[in-house]
Amino acid sequence: MFRRSSLPRRISKHLIIWVFIALVFFPIAWIFSASLNPANTLIGQELIPPNANWDHFVNLFTNPRHPFGRWLLNSVKISGITAILTVAMGALAAYAFSRFRFRGRRTGLVTMLLVQMFPSMMAMVALFLFLQRIGGLVPWAGLNTHAGLILIYLGGALGFNAWLMKGYFDTIPRSLEESALIDGATPFQAFIWIILPLVRPILAVIAILTFIGTYGDFLLPSILLTGTEQYTFAVGLRLFIVGEFDTRWGIFAAAALLGALPIVIIFLLLQDFIVSGLTRGAVKG
Amino acid sequence: MKKFITLLLSFILLVGITGTVGASVPGVLTIWADGTRAQILEPIAAEFAAAYGIQVIVHEIGFGELKPKFLIAAPAGEGPDILIGAHDWVGELTAAGLLAQIHLKPEEKELLSPVGINAFSWGGELFGFPYIMEAVALFYNRALVPVPPTTFEELITIARKLTDPEVGKYGFLWDAANFYFTFPFLSASGGYVFGVDEYGALNPRDIGLANEGAIRGGELILRLVKERIIFPGVDYGVMAGLFTAGRAAMIINGPWFISDVRAAGIDYGIAKLPTIDNNVMRPFVGVHGFMINSLSRNIVIANYFLRTYVFTKEIQLQIWRADPRIPTFLPAFLSPEVQADPDVKAIGLSAADGIPMPNIPEMGAVWAVMGAALGHIITTELSPAEALTAAVEAIKGLIRY
Amino acid sequence: MRVGYLITGPQREMRNDNLYPLILKIILLSGMSAVALWAMIILIGMEEYWLVGALAAGVLCINFVFLNRRAYPFRYILPGLIFFVAMVIFPLVYTVRIAFTNFGTGHFLTKRRAIEVLEGRYYRPQDPVRYTFQAFQNEAGALRVILTTIDGDSFISDAEQLIAVDLSQVRFIDDNNDGLIDRFDGYRRLTRMEIFRNLAALERLRLSKDEYIVKMTSPAEFTRFHQRFRYDPIEEVMIDLKTGTIYRPQYGIFTSAAGERLTPGFKADIGWRHFREILHNPAISRPFFRVFYWTFLFAGLSVVTTFALGLFLALTFNDPLLGGKKFYRSILIIPWAIPGFISVLIWAGLFNTEVGIINQLIGHRIPWFQDPFLARTALILVNLWLGFPFMMTISLGALQSIPHELHEAAYVDGASPWQRFHSITFPLLMVSLAPLLVGSFAFNFNNFALVFLLTGGGPHIPGMPGAAGATDILISYTYKLAFGGGGWGIQYGLASAVSIIIALIIGTISLINFKLSGTFKEVTIDV
Repeated sequence: MFRRSSLPRRISKHLIIWVFIALVFFPIAWIFSASLNPANTLIGQELIPPNANWDHFVNLFTNPRHPFGRWLLNSVKISGITAILTVAMGALAAYAFSRFRFRGRRTGLVTMLLVQMFPSMMAMVALFLFLQRIGGLVPWAGLNTHAGLILIYLGGALGFNAWLMKGYFDTIPRSLEESALIDGATPFQAFIWIILPLVRPILAVIAILTFIGTYGDFLLPSILLTGTEQYTFAVGLRLFIVGEFDTRWGIFAAAALLGALPIVIIFLLLQDFIVSGLTRGAVKG
Repeated sequence: MKKFITLLLSFILLVGITGTVGASVPGVLTIWADGTRAQILEPIAAEFAAAYGIQVIVHEIGFGELKPKFLIAAPAGEGPDILIGAHDWVGELTAAGLLAQIHLKPEEKELLSPVGINAFSWGGELFGFPYIMEAVALFYNRALVPVPPTTFEELITIARKLTDPEVGKYGFLWDAANFYFTFPFLSASGGYVFGVDEYGALNPRDIGLANEGAIRGGELILRLVKERIIFPGVDYGVMAGLFTAGRAAMIINGPWFISDVRAAGIDYGIAKLPTIDNNVMRPFVGVHGFMINSLSRNIVIANYFLRTYVFTKEIQLQIWRADPRIPTFLPAFLSPEVQADPDVKAIGLSAADGIPMPNIPEMGAVWAVMGAALGHIITTELSPAEALTAAVEAIKGLIRY
Repeated sequence: MRVGYLITGPQREMRNDNLYPLILKIILLSGMSAVALWAMIILIGMEEYWLVGALAAGVLCINFVFLNRRAYPFRYILPGLIFFVAMVIFPLVYTVRIAFTNFGTGHFLTKRRAIEVLEGRYYRPQDPVRYTFQAFQNEAGALRVILTTIDGDSFISDAEQLIAVDLSQVRFIDDNNDGLIDRFDGYRRLTRMEIFRNLAALERLRLSKDEYIVKMTSPAEFTRFHQRFRYDPIEEVMIDLKTGTIYRPQYGIFTSAAGERLTPGFKADIGWRHFREILHNPAISRPFFRVFYWTFLFAGLSVVTTFALGLFLALTFNDPLLGGKKFYRSILIIPWAIPGFISVLIWAGLFNTEVGIINQLIGHRIPWFQDPFLARTALILVNLWLGFPFMMTISLGALQSIPHELHEAAYVDGASPWQRFHSITFPLLMVSLAPLLVGSFAFNFNNFALVFLLTGGGPHIPGMPGAAGATDILISYTYKLAFGGGGWGIQYGLASAVSIIIALIIGTISLINFKLSGTFKEVTIDV
């Protein structure tokens, strides 16, 4: 913010943040402990389990039955494409809802929001049958394909995502585009060249939301994908713990920790976009 | 952003958007199995493929997802040819018309344990090839309990001495609020889940979980709570964690736990569950087997693969070595190698007293309601008689048709 | 302020007198329509008439939107809308449709498939007749088999028929005199390996002879069977050919006059039966309102607590002089990055009454998951841990949308930090965050994984019928009803009916709420 904070204030801020970092790491320490525990128990008594070793991590990368790297790659691919397309389509729709006045606009906005609250118990079966038909037409986008899965995820481009963006777009002063429009630009050109650079924070937020949401989803891919080569990270991870009784907590914890890395990296990459508003003084209207 | 997109595009090129089919294709045998089974089957399938020129694809699917996924995929014609799963799915899958009946010749039937055959039968017909069975037994830490108790009174005496929750020591624990593990307490004095009608079929209207015997079992659990031997809040994870840490002396668990105990370096033993007032505790027996999809286009091939290839002594022993559970294929079970294993012997003795887990779909209501009822007994909110009577009423209310 | 160009988009576009975009547009549209037409023809071949209709409607929509100037704004919405309709609206309609059927255990197949399964059932006659066989194939790949009984009688297949044949005819040639026919009429005998390769095709053979059917039972033999059931499509009944019993479809299952049922059943319309059941069966309806109340409380509390903490941290970070921000922020989003199902299970362990670290730190055996109030508290606390990074991230983004001039002006005017937050920052934040908070509410409203993994809905309340517990929210309760807790396997139909009722109630409440709170008021800031 504009006001400069004093040194003691900043020190107290650091302290507060470190308290929360400690709280964040408290349970994660136990996940880490489980990943070192050869006995496959999740609830160890000691933070450093007896016989602790790195076997689970090694196993993760050496056991060909669990192509962990492949799973991560699959997930990053699916979540990445989904996030980009969701942001693109959502931003287009949000622009229309924010800047144009047309019939059905309000109804559309309300419907988008309400419909997503509906607990669609049958969605899985419906989407399975739908993708089976698509596969009959276009085999590379049917059941057990990553393209088919992405198609389904794109259903979330409208709904909350467009809503959020629309809310943000509304806070961008219209006077900015008006000058461009008077100069003869089309609304689409105004959208691309004037609005988009201003709304980068919300685009980054939506991209992260979508990426993480897709990355962690296991319900849809576990029904739609079959075979370890096709699995995503979340589905593969579940293989370790949905045993009848024999849950492999150790390798599961190891995989969960490593699987969180792509998300942290994506966040590192995108957080500059989120806070980019700080430096946008140059284009202020 | 540009860099990010470039990065992603290179990923797409790297991985490619491809797909393989996971469903029944004529001339290609597709098998769905969980990790343990898939690992064992892959080499066997490869050998079969080489010998007969028939491609066999084994897909690994999480155990918990096998049945729900099969129920969505199979009716749409996207199911596998062979499904490996537990016998308590049989009722549901057969009612859905998704399992092919299996006709065994008398000489083939003789090679399978009757418990296994019984478990995979529904309406008098067979719907799967049973290959292993399992039941819970008493696991004990030899360092703390040199000789396992044979009666429950003995067990309580030992447990009392070894229990001190203040220092985190426990004498005897199990996942008491889980009906699967607690059923032996109720069954010992005559409790049962479903009665049997005059044709030998399970009768979901006859529920024996609040009869005199079941309530007596409930009273015993209450006694353990009151004597501060077992505690609310101990679930499977806690029990397993305490045992592998050497802080629980005796627990009730099944053969799947053996590899973890060994990894933890605990000197363990497995014994039959003790007797309660001279009555045997009867655990649930779970049987796993190979089922064939009724909408498969390779029923003959699947049958051939299972009969002449998988159900041979050599392959069954190979399976046993990879995952030591009790074989239901008798030539394998009776082989000296299997008989010499003390763990198999102990669990086999326990299973011999056991009762196959009911395989009718009504069982779903029982799991949920009984879990809640046992919870009330352990927290002493309700007396065993109250909790069990209310549970049976609740089950009857849910089973409506 | 908001008139002007807002409605003049199309005219603006006309000003662009360049013709190329128009030509390109027409080429793209016709190309797309052609592809769609091709797809429709295939779909007609697959008898997927619903999809043909949907596709046609979609293509017409796209053409209309891109050719009609008055539909200009829809050009922006359409790409997302297509997916929205296909992947969100369609499953929803399907759910509604299923609520009026008995889809679920015992009724998974369509009627057509169930008939197929039943008609495919055979029984062996009293004295089973087995045949050994030789398979033959011609150049065109057609398969024929010669069957031989144990008595030496031979039969040859001719399409679907089985005909008695005399193998001493000259057309049957035994090249090496081993007693096996090697070729006839251009057909050549298959080796054992070749038989295995053609097993799937041989398996499909249903050869009829007199009143029985002969089909393959193993790679070494064929066996004589009788067909068990035949469907009469005119009377719509299933006839048992062995006993003559007639079965009529009743609630999705073929039932005889004596009440005997044939499995499998099939998916059938049962009207409002599920809805009546929900109202009249106390095992279902009694816990409903209790669960309902807690669902709202849980979702509301989750949003308030996570937002408060997330915003607090975002404000802490929003200080240009604070060092290490990037590092801190990345660390603090870790709870969001770790897959929820492991952190929730870890938390369940930490809260464990007997061995949990939390109780050890407190020094008391607090019955976190045995007491309804404490279980609810634990649920909210765990959700706070899981949810604050999300709120922190969106708050960070939203803080950037607040024009700096406002703060500068307020600062110059001597407003205190709290005044500035309360009267400038917070109201402006809410403009862009209100929809997100609504979204978070909806997410927690359906936060099945958290409840299911942390408490399983428990503890159960004594005296409550069914399996509903103190922390069950609507979706976990519906799940319990649908999968097993309903007493008979999986009941998609019943679950769909419950979710429709839930949706109607939420929809009504949300609409009223929106109207009252004015979330739909347009907010524009013109600086």
